[in-house]
Amino acid sequence: MHVQGHYFPKASSNYQHGVANISDTLVEISHDDQLISSYAINDITLTSGLAGLADELRFNDGSRFIPSDVNYRWPFKTDKHDLLERLEKSKWAILAAIIFTPLFMWLMLYKVVPAIAVYSVDTLPRSVVEQMGEQSFTLIEKLALDESELPIEQQDKVQQHFNTILNELSLEPSVYRLSFYKSESFGANAFAMPHGRIVVTDELANLLADKPDALKAVLLHEIGHVVHQHSVRMTAQSAASTIVLAVIFGDLEGIAEVALGTGATFAQQGFSRDMEREADSYALIQLEHLGYSSNDFADAIQALQSAHTSENEHIEKVNNLLEYLSSHPSAQERIDNARK
Amino acid sequence: MESIHPTPPETSPPANEQATPIFSGKVQFSGKGGEFFGIWIVNILLSVLTLGIYSAWAKVRTMRYFYGHTRVDGHSFDYLATPMQILKGRILAVIVFLIYTFGSSFFPIIGLLFAVAFIFLMPWIINQGLRFNMRMTRHRNVRFSFKGNYGEAFVNFILLPIASIFTLYLLMPYVLKRIDSYIHSNISYGDTPLTVNLKGETYYLTALICFVVSSITMVIFMAILGLFGLDLLNVENQQNMQDPAAMTLMFGALMVAYVFMIAIVTAVWAAAIRNHIFDNSQFEDVASFKSQLRPIPFAILLLTNMLAIVFSLGLAYPWTKVRTSKMLAEVTTVNIYPSALNLVDTAQQEQSSFAEEAANVFDIDLSLT
Repeated sequence: MHVQGHYFPKASSNYQHGVANISDTLVEISHDDQLISSYAINDITLTSGLAGLADELRFNDGSRFIPSDVNYRWPFKTDKHDLLERLEKSKWAILAAIIFTPLFMWLMLYKVVPAIAVYSVDTLPRSVVEQMGEQSFTLIEKLALDESELPIEQQDKVQQHFNTILNELSLEPSVYRLSFYKSESFGANAFAMPHGRIVVTDELANLLADKPDALKAVLLHEIGHVVHQHSVRMTAQSAASTIVLAVIFGDLEGIAEVALGTGATFAQQGFSRDMEREADSYALIQLEHLGYSSNDFADAIQALQSAHTSENEHIEKVNNLLEYLSSHPSAQERIDNARK
Repeated sequence: MESIHPTPPETSPPANEQATPIFSGKVQFSGKGGEFFGIWIVNILLSVLTLGIYSAWAKVRTMRYFYGHTRVDGHSFDYLATPMQILKGRILAVIVFLIYTFGSSFFPIIGLLFAVAFIFLMPWIINQGLRFNMRMTRHRNVRFSFKGNYGEAFVNFILLPIASIFTLYLLMPYVLKRIDSYIHSNISYGDTPLTVNLKGETYYLTALICFVVSSITMVIFMAILGLFGLDLLNVENQQNMQDPAAMTLMFGALMVAYVFMIAIVTAVWAAAIRNHIFDNSQFEDVASFKSQLRPIPFAILLLTNMLAIVFSLGLAYPWTKVRTSKMLAEVTTVNIYPSALNLVDTAQQEQSSFAEEAANVFDIDLSLT
């Protein structure tokens, strides 16, 4: 069989027209019936086929033969070589890919990645969690927290509630530690660090001073974050999904990347909302378990919501509009969930 | 009546006159949107199914498709990287990324040290990436190469950009010129180095034009908003505007204006700088280039690309990629001179030497993309 094409000698920019004669074991390249070179089929590297591109022969001395017909495929190629090309040209494969890719992406980002995150977080040694919690806490303390101005008696009261909860749920007091801080940036709020330190702001303690059960609900919510290792999981998940998206869509540019980034942010916010729900349901279950009412939790959310709303009505309007962007479920959803 | 047309200037020949080219013509791009769509969507499906491992094969197929369909003087480019090289690089990059993410979010103080270490690692990574991409590019059995050194990369990519912050970014066009010069003047085709002669004035002029264009776009946009009674600079007006529908409309309009401006500025910069670099770079006695990318058609292309991607939920991406390559090929002319036929591929000749073998161990693509 004769195949027209170009022969490129090794490491040279020169080339010449040639004809490849194929037999069972040999490829002979000739020009005007003059033999240029001959190669055993075993000494040839084949590249996998690509639509619209010539199927070149790479000889093991570095020279190449490229057929003129871009659609020509060598007879000694095995099916394995052209499997991808056949897939990429098959209408059915393409249709299946269009339908199933979003589904698999969703499975990957929302099922596989979180599962991996949970698994890897469980294997993290306690000392590592302790270190990272303490370091992040030091940073937050420097940036956003001021020394508490809460009277000692009031602090003691909250501390006692906290101790009771720990005691009744048999949680380790060396892990779950309570601190008080005044904070302008957080306002009335509470948050938990990954290693178990829980911070209650003066503003929150004052807001719920006459609703001790509501305050307990808030503490339980924060304990729930620590029990489920939410901060660690969050980092693991967002890192893993960033990698998945970057690897799969890596060579997109411009607007596509922006769209991808937005998608990743939405996904992350989704994780965060799920975690808030998980902490909420932890609080609700434990409230019940400890003999309180889940209404206490609803009261806490309501108080927090009105505290934050009254601060600035205009901003609240914008917040309503951008509610879906927020990292927490809506206050109403959380209240309804508690009251049902 | 006096003529209002000035006499056309003599087309002056280039300063260093070269031999007559044996080939002079446009770059050809023969890729088709439909063909690449099949490759792209199958790539994504297989990448997802293999938890990202196939993405290395996907990258090689994509690169081979675009290189193979780009022809100069009838001969296509080859992308030589193997999936394994890409995969190794990706695994390494993922590990570094994980260390960095976990380091900085779990141990913010150690994270800071990582960030500093990363600054010193950056020039090496950039060089590595450029070197890899050049070595893996071949035209007519001769490979390209890149010979940058750490010190220069550190000055151009780290030191000067940081310094420009302290000059209110007035130094930035000069820094960008230095970066482009560094990248291009270290490229060789076989044993022939690329000689480049970039001018700072062009960068400053282009930056000025970009600044003016973006200002004008913003002013026009503000005026249009004003027509609809939305005065962004008027605080009272802002407070009156609490109705969510108006807010959404305004956010939407702002986004559109922003995207519009980005596309125009990108096109103006890309066109001017690309043309400048191509017109002032040559492989002496081997090849010279000319680029005639025009900003307005390019801006329209970028904008329609964005719209197509957004409204097709991403499915138009292969089409946008192919038409962009087509436009860039169409505006690029290459002249090839007789010496191009006797080039020697230095990279391939040295292949047996130990140093080259050792270098091959590090021949991995470090970028995630």
